[in-house]
Amino acid sequence: MCIERYTKKTTTDLKEVQTLAYKKVAKKYSGKIKEVTIGTGDKAITLGGRNVLPLHAFDGEVGQSPKVGLEIVDEVPSDWIDAFANLYGDVQKDAATWAKYVEETYAPDFICLRFEGADPNGSNRSVEECVETAKKVSESVSLPLVIAGSKNVEKDSEIFKAIAEALEGKNILLLSAQEENYKTVGAAGALAYKQKVAAESSVDINLAKQLNILMTQLGVQKEDVVMHVGCAAAGYGYEYVSSTMDRITLAALGQNDETLQMPIITPISFETWSVKESIATEEDEPNWGSIEERGIHMEVSTAAASIASGSDAVIVRHPKSLEAIKYYLNSIIG
Amino acid sequence: MDKFIVIGERIHCISPAIRTAISERDPAPILKRAKEQIDAGATYLDVNIGPAEKDGVEVMQWAVQLIQSEFDNVPLALDTANKKAIEGGIKVYNRSKGKPIVNSADAGDRIDNINLAAANDAMSIALCAKEGIPRDNDERMMYCQEMIERAMDAGMEVEDLLFDPLFLVIKGMQEKQVELFEAIRMLSEMGLKTTGGLSNVSNGTPKELRPILDSYTVAMAMQCGLTSAIANPCDKRLMEAIKTCDMILGKTLYADSYLEL
Repeated sequence: MCIERYTKKTTTDLKEVQTLAYKKVAKKYSGKIKEVTIGTGDKAITLGGRNVLPLHAFDGEVGQSPKVGLEIVDEVPSDWIDAFANLYGDVQKDAATWAKYVEETYAPDFICLRFEGADPNGSNRSVEECVETAKKVSESVSLPLVIAGSKNVEKDSEIFKAIAEALEGKNILLLSAQEENYKTVGAAGALAYKQKVAAESSVDINLAKQLNILMTQLGVQKEDVVMHVGCAAAGYGYEYVSSTMDRITLAALGQNDETLQMPIITPISFETWSVKESIATEEDEPNWGSIEERGIHMEVSTAAASIASGSDAVIVRHPKSLEAIKYYLNSIIG
Repeated sequence: MDKFIVIGERIHCISPAIRTAISERDPAPILKRAKEQIDAGATYLDVNIGPAEKDGVEVMQWAVQLIQSEFDNVPLALDTANKKAIEGGIKVYNRSKGKPIVNSADAGDRIDNINLAAANDAMSIALCAKEGIPRDNDERMMYCQEMIERAMDAGMEVEDLLFDPLFLVIKGMQEKQVELFEAIRMLSEMGLKTTGGLSNVSNGTPKELRPILDSYTVAMAMQCGLTSAIANPCDKRLMEAIKTCDMILGKTLYADSYLEL
């Protein structure tokens, strides 16, 4: 009796459920991320262009596929794990040779040349030397160039200004203009020499918006600005990065906030290769496995998460990470 | 989620400069006021040509084309008692930046303006009044229902109606103010869009008090859900209040320069 009643009831429920057919509703947004092009010629890349959340191809236009760049340095890096010396060998001794090797061997979407050697607390290479390196690198490759500094705000302003002038017409991206130097970098980079500029805010949505407003008020076109909204290695406060990117994306798309409709670039490798998972030696942590693999895992996890959160371009250090992220993107959006 | 919409009220034939400009078909004063309002943050502009019984169609078409061609098809509210003039204005209206707004319908003699809006795929302001000032909120809501029914019968989306609870002058009708916020709350809880002639509240008060009365009223009304207002965007204090409320309510993201946007 009980079973009969139960069966009967279930059948009725099922009928009710069947009448409620699934209706697919696409999420529409009023805003759209602007497209920004870096580089020139056949190898130029364009970032942005989507009017949906990252990778949400089922809702609308995903725009340009996120781009992946490889990081190189202006001098032989002193704090990179040995695996990179084994990988690159003597190529690392000359940035132009290194860049050419990377372009020919790994074919990333762009190259990020980082001027670590400009650091006044390090090799303190002169502005002229940095310009010379930038010119040689630019001549040796056809891939778009992203120029990163030494993390010394004053010195970076000088080298960005000089490199922007020397590479006029190459449409490079300067990474980056910060609250302290946006006037110099924005005026020299975008206004005087028509380069692209990344506006850097350290995981602070309000500052991200403010810097974009200030750049616009300076006269920089929105189409010449990319955002670097900050990064952290997975497990090191990354959730905050992710929620920042979500909030920016929702304002840009949902609230049609034009001050936030710039594509986002995230230098993953700047963060992930200094955490203990990536640098603890195998002697110190025998249970953790290969140091090189650990570093790649950290980099790939963080890069994939960033793309899912809204990065339109990521910078990685290990060619295997480049390969993994490219595979991930091809598998998801083709 | 949407930002508050300001419908700029300053192209109004009650102003001698505008009245003369209309009668002489002189573009300059009208374009000047249009530009001031757009620069100050107006989304829509109200175009009030008065009763315009004689040459209403011609005047409205002239004004609509004049303003839209100069300012990238800025969306307009067509404000006159002359129905033919509104229809004529809609005929030459470019809707690339937004539908035209019929200003206005009510639950009384002007209820047919809802049909006019429906027939022309326009929006309409729907004044919650029939004859004079509604006695209380029961009456307001009854009028609101009557207009919703009329709109639905005409095949119009309810979201194309902007319900106006009828802002009343503070000086003289102080006891009516609280009830008005309650009306806005009720309309907004029904999911309806709202608007109103905000400057009514400060009518007859000293000039220096008007921005204060208007901006506090708009802030309280926005907290109750008001989604737009016919107001003076050139009133800096009022616009600061609106931008700040939009930001506090989470409709825009804060940045230090938010008032400059």
